[in-house]
Amino acid sequence: MDFETNYEIEDTADFIHRRNFSRVALQFPDELLKDSMRVVGALRDKLQLLKGSGSEAQRDGAKEVRLFVMADATYGSCCVDEVGASHSDGECVIHYGHTCLSPSSTLPAFFVLGKASVDATKFAESFSNYASTSGKPVLVLYGLEYAHAIPHIREVVVALSSSSTVSNPTCEYLFADVASRVTDPPKECENSEKTLRPDCDCDTSCEGVTPGFIGSIGGLVWSLPKGCKMEDYSLFWIGSDNSAFANAVLTFNGCEIVRYDVEQGCLMTDLSAQRKILKRRYYLVEKAKDANIVGILVGTLGVAGYLNMIRQMKDLITAAGKKAYTFVMGRPNPAKLANFPECDVFVYVSCPQTALLDSKEFLAPVITPFEAMLSFSRGLEWTGAYVTKFWDLIDSPLPDVRHEDPEEARFSLIQGRYVEDFSSKVNLEEEEENGRVVALSTTMEKALQLRDKNTTMITSNGKVATSGAEYFATRRTYHGLDMYHDSGSTVEPFLIGRSGKASGYEGERNKPDTEVEI
Amino acid sequence: MVKFTAEELRRIMDMKHNIRNMSVIAHVDHGKSTLTDSLVAAAGIIAQEVAGDVRMTDTRADEAERGITIKSTGISLYYEMSEKSLKQYKGQRDGNEYLINLIDSPGHVDFSSEVTAALRITDGALVVVDCVEGVCVQTETVLRQALGERIRPVLTVNKMDRCFLELQVDGEEAYQTFQRVIENANVIMATYEDPLLGDVQVYPEKGTVAFSAGLHGWAFTLTNFAKMYASKFGVDESKMMERLWGENFFDPATKKWTTKNTGSATCKRGFVQFCYEPIKQVINTCMNDQKDKLWPMLSKLGIQMKGEEKELMGKPLMKRVMQTWLPAADALLEMMIFHLPSPATAQRYRVENLYEGPLDDQYATAIRNCDPEGPLMLYVSKMIPASDKGRFFAFGRVFAGKVSTGVKVRIMGPNYVPGEKKDLYVKNVQRTVIWMGKRQETVEDVPCGNTVALVGLDQFITKNATLTNEKEVDAHPIRAMKFSVSPVVRVAVQCKVASDLPKLVEGLKRLAKSDPMVVCSIEESGEHIIAGAGELHLEICLKDLQDDFMGGAEIIKSDPVVSFRETVLEKSSRIVMSKSPNKHNRLYMEARPMEEGLAEAIDDGRIGPRDDPKVRSKILAEEFGWDKDLAKKIWCFGPETTGPNMVVDMCKGVQYLNEIKDSVVAGFQWASKEGALCEENMRGICYEVCDVVLHADAIHRGGGQVIPTARRVIYASQLTAKPRLLEPVYMVEIQAPEQALGGIYSVLNQKRGHVFEEMQRPGTPLYNIKAYLPVIESFGFSSTLRAATSGQAFPQCVFDHWDMMMSDPLEAGTQASTLVADIRKRKGLKEQMTPLSEFEDKL
Repeated sequence: MDFETNYEIEDTADFIHRRNFSRVALQFPDELLKDSMRVVGALRDKLQLLKGSGSEAQRDGAKEVRLFVMADATYGSCCVDEVGASHSDGECVIHYGHTCLSPSSTLPAFFVLGKASVDATKFAESFSNYASTSGKPVLVLYGLEYAHAIPHIREVVVALSSSSTVSNPTCEYLFADVASRVTDPPKECENSEKTLRPDCDCDTSCEGVTPGFIGSIGGLVWSLPKGCKMEDYSLFWIGSDNSAFANAVLTFNGCEIVRYDVEQGCLMTDLSAQRKILKRRYYLVEKAKDANIVGILVGTLGVAGYLNMIRQMKDLITAAGKKAYTFVMGRPNPAKLANFPECDVFVYVSCPQTALLDSKEFLAPVITPFEAMLSFSRGLEWTGAYVTKFWDLIDSPLPDVRHEDPEEARFSLIQGRYVEDFSSKVNLEEEEENGRVVALSTTMEKALQLRDKNTTMITSNGKVATSGAEYFATRRTYHGLDMYHDSGSTVEPFLIGRSGKASGYEGERNKPDTEVEI
Repeated sequence: MVKFTAEELRRIMDMKHNIRNMSVIAHVDHGKSTLTDSLVAAAGIIAQEVAGDVRMTDTRADEAERGITIKSTGISLYYEMSEKSLKQYKGQRDGNEYLINLIDSPGHVDFSSEVTAALRITDGALVVVDCVEGVCVQTETVLRQALGERIRPVLTVNKMDRCFLELQVDGEEAYQTFQRVIENANVIMATYEDPLLGDVQVYPEKGTVAFSAGLHGWAFTLTNFAKMYASKFGVDESKMMERLWGENFFDPATKKWTTKNTGSATCKRGFVQFCYEPIKQVINTCMNDQKDKLWPMLSKLGIQMKGEEKELMGKPLMKRVMQTWLPAADALLEMMIFHLPSPATAQRYRVENLYEGPLDDQYATAIRNCDPEGPLMLYVSKMIPASDKGRFFAFGRVFAGKVSTGVKVRIMGPNYVPGEKKDLYVKNVQRTVIWMGKRQETVEDVPCGNTVALVGLDQFITKNATLTNEKEVDAHPIRAMKFSVSPVVRVAVQCKVASDLPKLVEGLKRLAKSDPMVVCSIEESGEHIIAGAGELHLEICLKDLQDDFMGGAEIIKSDPVVSFRETVLEKSSRIVMSKSPNKHNRLYMEARPMEEGLAEAIDDGRIGPRDDPKVRSKILAEEFGWDKDLAKKIWCFGPETTGPNMVVDMCKGVQYLNEIKDSVVAGFQWASKEGALCEENMRGICYEVCDVVLHADAIHRGGGQVIPTARRVIYASQLTAKPRLLEPVYMVEIQAPEQALGGIYSVLNQKRGHVFEEMQRPGTPLYNIKAYLPVIESFGFSSTLRAATSGQAFPQCVFDHWDMMMSDPLEAGTQASTLVADIRKRKGLKEQMTPLSEFEDKL
């Protein structure tokens, strides 16, 4: 496939020209960065051409379009890096490569999805094989890089099913569509409910059927005929085993789902690994219930509504009697998070495809906002439904919360016994003492407490800390330099420390030729 | 059966000197429940209105089906003593009416937590021993438990009928057998010398041993016979008792008592002459239907038979005659009333074991005096599922004061620390309930010395708790119970229908509440795990879960899973080093196995994080040969800060070392919980921090850099120190006749078990075999064994120790490496172990 079609130079230039942007940020993921210069060159040529072809008035009004290349996004490369774009005062972002098509909050964005090749005939064969045996209607979902090929694939499939008389003619199938490749930030006058959903500008497959359930995931939208549920369909995924697919498996865990691997041209039906992810997430939910200090990790500064979500998370955590801290640290990794050992669990507010972090190597688990809602609202049990998009959670009423007595001991499946949420009890007692003055004085009372050394000793064993300060005071043995250190230590002479570089200090055997394998 | 109204029963409950709280304990199949049944039949209290209803002890269907007791059941008995027989009683009493609260407990070792809970709320124990099988492993275990709780025992030698009918042994032989049984029991009891409890050994001549045939409903103590003969011989009753046991012989020819067998044919031991022979005679006459001989004999003994009973033949006749002559209930109840303590007596010495607080405060005093006017002290020992789904009765014993309907109580849970608010609730008792047979009766209040069930507290009591009055803020709780078995067998459960998940979770919660031993948890892989003491225990738990706690929703269970431990065989082959992610910090470490017995000492809590460092270093230096200074340098224990692994600081003169200590500890807690082989807990590994190189800026040596590094270096040192797996091993005790031995040995061999003790029971054809058997091989062991020995052998398994598997898990193809691969697969880990090079860095 030639370069210009692959990078959709024409459409992009047209988008920029039509909207009259003068500063444009081009966001590349690491693996496409090598092509960035060629893309910029081609775009510039194209824009020049468009400018020339425009009318006289336009030509005067139009300024020189400046293109900026962005790389190494702070968060997941699938989201629009609005902060990065604003460093260069960009008016819009052109996003290349794999994307989650999450709505952006301040800048309009144009997504270039890329075009991966797919052998339509080969696919059509294995698809009709599957469709005729599944017994259920089939919904086809795909990685966005295959979106360009879908119309062609559909034709081939239709042709195949009409030509072969053997295959079951009644087998139903439905192709999902790509939502708009252009996203605009929510306008202030519109209510948030509407703008949070990417609007659909394609309407091909659902002609003639009255739309019932409208489903969407990772930039794909589809509508099911009235009266149908997602569970009635089996899912057929075209693409590689990536986070978008994992996301789909989790969200529609009630459906049968198969994956067509384009590169190998074969059907993968064994998805036990993906099912395991769901169970693992369930474990993390249970684990989070035992947490006392929760860290909220800001995983996006662009996806619409992230501030609302963070606020909502904070309220939720505080209401559960736990302590919340907010961290902004770019992409999380084990080393970064282990700097905050006081946090028992982290809630990662980010786009759906980066949110599912396998935190096996992390000191504390990292969960999604949906999982946090399950964990921190008492009496809420997980029924199997799963939501990865946090914007679907904003202000959503919690489904059927069973009102347990909050004082009652909670059963912790992690510890295998009943435990008590001590802090929630304290909160409750506070509420009981209704007077504000009383409340204030009790908070003050708690804010400053006299501790003697012995309590520190006792509490450091076993007792859980309920705030960062308490953790520091009770669980850490090292509190910084001790001014009043008097426990009989003798004065020691001044020593000269190491010098040089950490890769090999002076005086260490650091020459490669002398290094001996121990 | 005694018909009572709740008011009448409540009246006796006030007479604290006339109450006996006792449990029936024994090895499985020694006839506890049958014996209890005969007591209940005679003296069980039932509500007036339901008299004539079904049997009292008829409880769970599965109990009847398997023929074993699973849950302990409490029954109240009422017995009125005659003035004459009470003449001998020296203790305090209020009238002649007695209330006996009896708890029948399971004998199978898998359910010994039920026994523990029963013992806590009773003061005396009736130890039942099969006269042929003798004292068995479970008899010993429960007896030790009882004595540990300061429970006074009395003994009954049961299944006497087997002597007469099955084995047809003669008098002297039988005496020797009984004597041995009693001696064996006394050997165990003698080891518990307790000045406060006094002599706890049992003596037939003192009336603390009974001889019973539970199946036939008769029993006697020497008191019965002594009474009979005392007048005849014109001697004192107690004098007669002594003659009826031990080295006392009587020759009817010379009518003389001697202390040695004179050798003449007519000279026989007192017991044989006066107790055994007459019974044998009566039984034989009945069995042979020699009614012409029988009637005169009976009238001589003063036994009146009713009209239709005279028509009976053979065994039924024998049963009826014996029941009339020597009713089991009378003999046993009299023994209990005479020799087991009342709550008032027992609490005087039990208070030390029970109360955690100072022994001179008002609560201790109230318990000591069993003071109904004192502050309430109530111990809830178990939660009993109510017929109302999802609710539980809190069942326990009032040690002081009174508990009444509607009263506000302070609930102190097992984690309550006086002065803190943790695990503490103040709630109303909705109802106080007493059991009358199967029926629950609500009463106004229950005074101290009695057992009681409370309604309305189940949400706040998890497994057990201490209850006191609302205002008694300075009361300490009653000591928590210690269980003798540990949950080592696990099974993963999941529901058939995914949407039943909430039901499953709810069911697991209830299961955990109803059984103090079971542990319901969740694995990292998201599987729900139920852990129990043994295969049978798990089976019962699963049944309860599905039928009672989940309303019949279907569940799928995995094959039983055993947890392993990871350990090391030798000291690390070299000092290993790992660099932090920023390469600026280095940790050098070595792993070595702990000294033998040290891991067990940590398990038992003899050595732990809360020790006084001086005491700890003394034990370590004296028992395990540690250097005294080194003992002070233990950084921590793990996993969970108390586990049997540790980190020791061996560095010299490292700057900022105490700054990273917390981070190393955090990394160690993490690593020791999930070992490098297959993420099982580590056990018995000592990690020595040999050297540390740190960056000069604090920001570059923070937790983020050091915690993952500590974990990696720990894994590296584990892998270089010849890592091994530890598997749990049961101690199995099997009792079987000689001809079954071959079968037992072959089954044990096949299951990797090995016998370490084989002993013939003196005087019996039975052998006692003790063997070690890996827990993983124990599934289906008892059925295989039964098949191989045509049902003659019955094993009892108790977790004993962790055993090292000698094969190298790092070497492909060995048993251990296959096991590691299996575990990793089950846990959803990468099948290949992470190689050492991932953990160790080179300079």
